[in-house]
Amino acid sequence: MKQSVIPIKLVIAGASITVLDSSKMGSYSCTLKGEQQLSGIFHLQVPKIERKEKPMISYIGDTAVMNCECPGYTATSWTWYMTNGSKQIAINESLLTDKYVISKKSANITQLKILKLAKEDDGEYWCEAAFGLGKSKGKLELKVLSYMAPLKPFLAIVVEVVVLIALVVSYEIYSKKVKRTEVEFWNLTSLSYSKSEDSGLESSRARQRRI
Amino acid sequence: MSPPVPSDLGYVPPDGGWGWAVVFGASISVGFAYTFPKAFTIYFKELQAVYSISYSQIAWITSIMCATTYGGGPISSILVNRYGSRPVVMFGGLLCGTGMVSAAFCTSIMQLYICVGFITGLGLALNLQPSVIMIGKYFLKRRPIANGLAMAGSPVMLCTLAPLNQLLFDNYGWRGSFLILGAILLNCCVAGALFRPIGPGTASIKTQVPEEGKDALKQKVTEDAMEMSSPVNLPMKNKTEEEGERDCCEKINQYLDFSLFKHRGFLIYLIGNVLMFLGFFAPIIFLAPYAKHIGIDEYSAAFLLSILAIVDIVARPTTGIIANSKWVRPRIQYFFSFSIAFNGTCHLLCPLASSYTGLVVYSIFFGLAFGMVCAMLFETLMDLVGAARFTSAVGLVTIAECCTILLGPPIGGTLIDTFGDYKYMFIKCGVVMVLAGTFLFIMNYYNYRMLAKEEKERKAKEEDPKSVRTENEGRNNWIKETTQDGPELEPLREEQEGLKKEANGTSEV
Repeated sequence: MKQSVIPIKLVIAGASITVLDSSKMGSYSCTLKGEQQLSGIFHLQVPKIERKEKPMISYIGDTAVMNCECPGYTATSWTWYMTNGSKQIAINESLLTDKYVISKKSANITQLKILKLAKEDDGEYWCEAAFGLGKSKGKLELKVLSYMAPLKPFLAIVVEVVVLIALVVSYEIYSKKVKRTEVEFWNLTSLSYSKSEDSGLESSRARQRRI
Repeated sequence: MSPPVPSDLGYVPPDGGWGWAVVFGASISVGFAYTFPKAFTIYFKELQAVYSISYSQIAWITSIMCATTYGGGPISSILVNRYGSRPVVMFGGLLCGTGMVSAAFCTSIMQLYICVGFITGLGLALNLQPSVIMIGKYFLKRRPIANGLAMAGSPVMLCTLAPLNQLLFDNYGWRGSFLILGAILLNCCVAGALFRPIGPGTASIKTQVPEEGKDALKQKVTEDAMEMSSPVNLPMKNKTEEEGERDCCEKINQYLDFSLFKHRGFLIYLIGNVLMFLGFFAPIIFLAPYAKHIGIDEYSAAFLLSILAIVDIVARPTTGIIANSKWVRPRIQYFFSFSIAFNGTCHLLCPLASSYTGLVVYSIFFGLAFGMVCAMLFETLMDLVGAARFTSAVGLVTIAECCTILLGPPIGGTLIDTFGDYKYMFIKCGVVMVLAGTFLFIMNYYNYRMLAKEEKERKAKEEDPKSVRTENEGRNNWIKETTQDGPELEPLREEQEGLKKEANGTSEV
């Protein structure tokens, strides 16, 4: 937006227009003709609603809570729309009080609560803020998943854990077996080589070794 | 390093072989225990919106989790003393997994407190302590390296868990993420499976060996009026009340060694660490908000923490290697005090950093200091009390640290809110840590001198005639003495020797 710098002395000879009609919203320019030509352009628009880029994820039977915020400005009213195909249908909460709950969280935040989610509730939602001179829309995407969706990775990881534990334990049993046969082998050889020696000491030591 | 000293465990630890698999398992367990509360904060915004609660209410979840993880230390110690590390870790992993899976189906914030905060926290506690204990059982000569490597699991896990949590949340929402996180936490059971039990021959549990010794003595000295501790697990019907009382103390001491509170080194460590934790975690929590406060954008602020984590990953094993060298290992307590004081100095200098580059430099040094302290946190305790008593020591230390760990960040937050400036929080943390470092340095200097003196006295006594020794050793049952190299004679062994000598003495009479 081009910023026009108006020197103070010209404020005395200022001009203003008041826009009252929402159809008259747009860009205005004012020009001061004199020794120097000064002009400035004003872009009039309604405040923008913060948009959420990522879709919100919820599950069948759960409650989805969607917030729409217009920072710094107070809207006169908020309306929520649901997209059905290509049409946008306003959500009338008085009709379905056990499904939709619209509440005003604060001056510039509105909240839509959808209870008992079903697969049909999946899709785009729009929150519309009405100001004196126009309306502003924000889009929210809701994805409704079934519990099967996270269950697959969950089961995959559980299977991986069980497999790893089984591997570790079987390796341990295998290596214990190998050690035991080794110990028995050395016991036999030591006994046969040194019957008169204190072989009892060796074998007791071997027995004490943690197997 | 001195010639190989027989460890107080009753056997020579392998210092390698399967020990490295144990280190790997320990790094997974330790990683989950330390990073899970931090990585969990990603879900706060969503949960706040769903349950319509304030930030402080949602932050209670991680506070409860941390409190349970540290406060559950003694429970861990008792269970490990009774059953060994492996069953405890596997049970802990199951508990974590169950906690998170049940959290996926929660409908109120109170249920979340219980499932995520309490149950998962307890599971993590049952993971953390036994892992560290196992390292002490498998390593002696290379223990600092093993400790450094195991503690390095924490920043590695943080680097993986944080983006993973974000990915899960984007794809599955918070309920699905909790379900999958429950499965991921089950990997702690795999870590537990790696903790092969190791011990001196028969039972690795302390309770059984003194029992056998006592049984043998009872047969020899039945009519003797000399009071000896009776076996713990026999029926108590024909015992007098006095013996019964002693039984109780003995029993408690065998599950959780409260006699550690008479141990000089343990007390020094306890006081120093409790003081240190008052200023340990607050700077990390407030680093990103501080960066944003002085005008740095969100992504660069988050990058500071990444720098910290990366430096941390490198610093921990490196510190382990340095601590294991022959110049540092005998004086490892000084190295530890130095790193704490260094950490404090970093915080004191932080307010001077007003630009992004300054903060990057601060993050690098902070990451280095943080890694150094964490790598040696448990190694120094093992060095002071010895691997056998470490089981109980770690439990007692963590429950004492629990209070200051929880108090640290809120005090920092209050300072920030009162003065509107972050520098007072940094100054407070810096001062506390420098004080703690200095305290530890001075007290350990005193401790090393006392140990050297006691070692000299003990060597002098060994050259004396035996009769003098039997009297003294009988009295010195529970007084601890450590050698300068670290591992000390275990109460178990001394008690055994003492009892045997008493028996010999009486039979001679």
